[in-house]
Amino acid sequence: MTSSAAASFSWRRVWAIVRRQGLVQYRNPGMWFLLLVLPVVDVVLFSSIGVAYGTGDGPVRLLFTGILLFHLVWQLTLAGSLGFLEEVWSRNVLNLLTTPVREIEYAAALGVVGLLRTLVAVGLISGVGGGLYAIDPSSAGWVLAPAAAVLLVFGWAVALLVVGLTLQYGDSAEVFSWGTLVLLMPLSGVFYPVEALPGGLQAIARAIPLTRAFDATRIGLEGGGIAAGDLLVAALGSTVAVGLAFWFVLRQLRRFRQLGWVTRFT
Amino acid sequence: MTPLLLAEGLVKSFDGVRAVNGVTLHVHPRERVAIVGPNGAGKTTTLLMVLGAIEADEGRVHIAGHELPAQRHQAMRSVGFAAGYLPLPDRLKVAEALRFFADLSEVDEPGAAVDTVIGELDIRHLRDKLCMHLSSGQRTLVGIAKATLHRPRLLILDEPTASLDPDIAFRVRDRLARINEEHHTALLLTSHDMREVETLTERVVFLRAGRVIADGPPAKVAADGGQASLEALFLAEAARHRAEQL
Repeated sequence: MTSSAAASFSWRRVWAIVRRQGLVQYRNPGMWFLLLVLPVVDVVLFSSIGVAYGTGDGPVRLLFTGILLFHLVWQLTLAGSLGFLEEVWSRNVLNLLTTPVREIEYAAALGVVGLLRTLVAVGLISGVGGGLYAIDPSSAGWVLAPAAAVLLVFGWAVALLVVGLTLQYGDSAEVFSWGTLVLLMPLSGVFYPVEALPGGLQAIARAIPLTRAFDATRIGLEGGGIAAGDLLVAALGSTVAVGLAFWFVLRQLRRFRQLGWVTRFT
Repeated sequence: MTPLLLAEGLVKSFDGVRAVNGVTLHVHPRERVAIVGPNGAGKTTTLLMVLGAIEADEGRVHIAGHELPAQRHQAMRSVGFAAGYLPLPDRLKVAEALRFFADLSEVDEPGAAVDTVIGELDIRHLRDKLCMHLSSGQRTLVGIAKATLHRPRLLILDEPTASLDPDIAFRVRDRLARINEEHHTALLLTSHDMREVETLTERVVFLRAGRVIADGPPAKVAADGGQASLEALFLAEAARHRAEQL
């Protein structure tokens, strides 16, 4: 009754997981809040600060673009980490482990869900920014495209990191899905250059690939064109980060099976 | 005949305590086998190693010719799993959850397969109910539907009738017997209900402290242990286990 394709990568299994995640999010009011309300709150909050304390439209564009881009990381991380946590909360992990689904298929499905969430959030932020503050979301220019790609890759790395931690710590790992983002926001120079941070924190901030992507965006906003060097470093750093995160998840899965952690999830 | 499931010399320790100590287990196509033993004997750990959810420290597992853990994904095509304690995805309706698992197993015509299994288990009234709102008996029936909708060759069940009322437990046993008969599905189950084991299975693997102490037809295992029934043997083993712990 089954086809012979189960041994290889299956887009049908990916789609099944995407559909399940979609239904879970549809029926969970908290997820609607995170997807629809939080981005609007953020864009209103930061754009209004820019309007109140800035001179000209520079500060408001800077704050708006910062929050627009940060939501790429934010939504992708939340989709990945909360998506897997949903399996933990509903004690579905053992059910999944006893099906032919592959780790890479599951990760791909959470990535697709994350991209869909990101599209909705970015659309909302752009609409509110354009409609209420007369901001052109693309005012930074072409630099936005590579910067966004880097941020998505890095967001996926953070999501995988949280999934790996969840395999070990179960539902108490929820704090990491929020905590990593709360840590990243001030340290990665979303709204200001690294030099604005206290001396000791600057070295940490420079080691985060996101920082270079936000630097490049700021240069674009100030009319400085595309900072290819910054983007290249950010891209390399994000690629390394996602590679390390994937290695971490596979290592955690191995430990999960070796140490019998599955009994914590049943 | 080549066994459908072949597990040899399985060993597993947790924090220095040996939970399973050299268990060898084989299940042939269409066979009905029970793993029994007191709490802590290693039944669930053995099942989870057979399923690839726990990796054995020593030993090997083959299912339908596929070696675990390397070929776990292929092996799981031939396996269905349900447990009395295992819920289904909370925020999905029963039909949606079954469709989800049908897609994960790449069942042809998944909609028809879901309808068929829902009809077979007589749970049409649960079709549009959210899994999070099911009673434990309803959850068990839906769990068995989930485990059988891809027509596995081996159905693994961990305490399938635990905490069910006699009516639902009877329906579950009846359905399992029919699945075995009609679809030639082999059964491997754990249970603490020795009458259920005698009724439903043709071979018993008795575990004590992670080791196999008997393997054979229920009546023979009981007789070899000097007892009139499997239940009497179980009680004697449990008393012995308690005495050893004191």
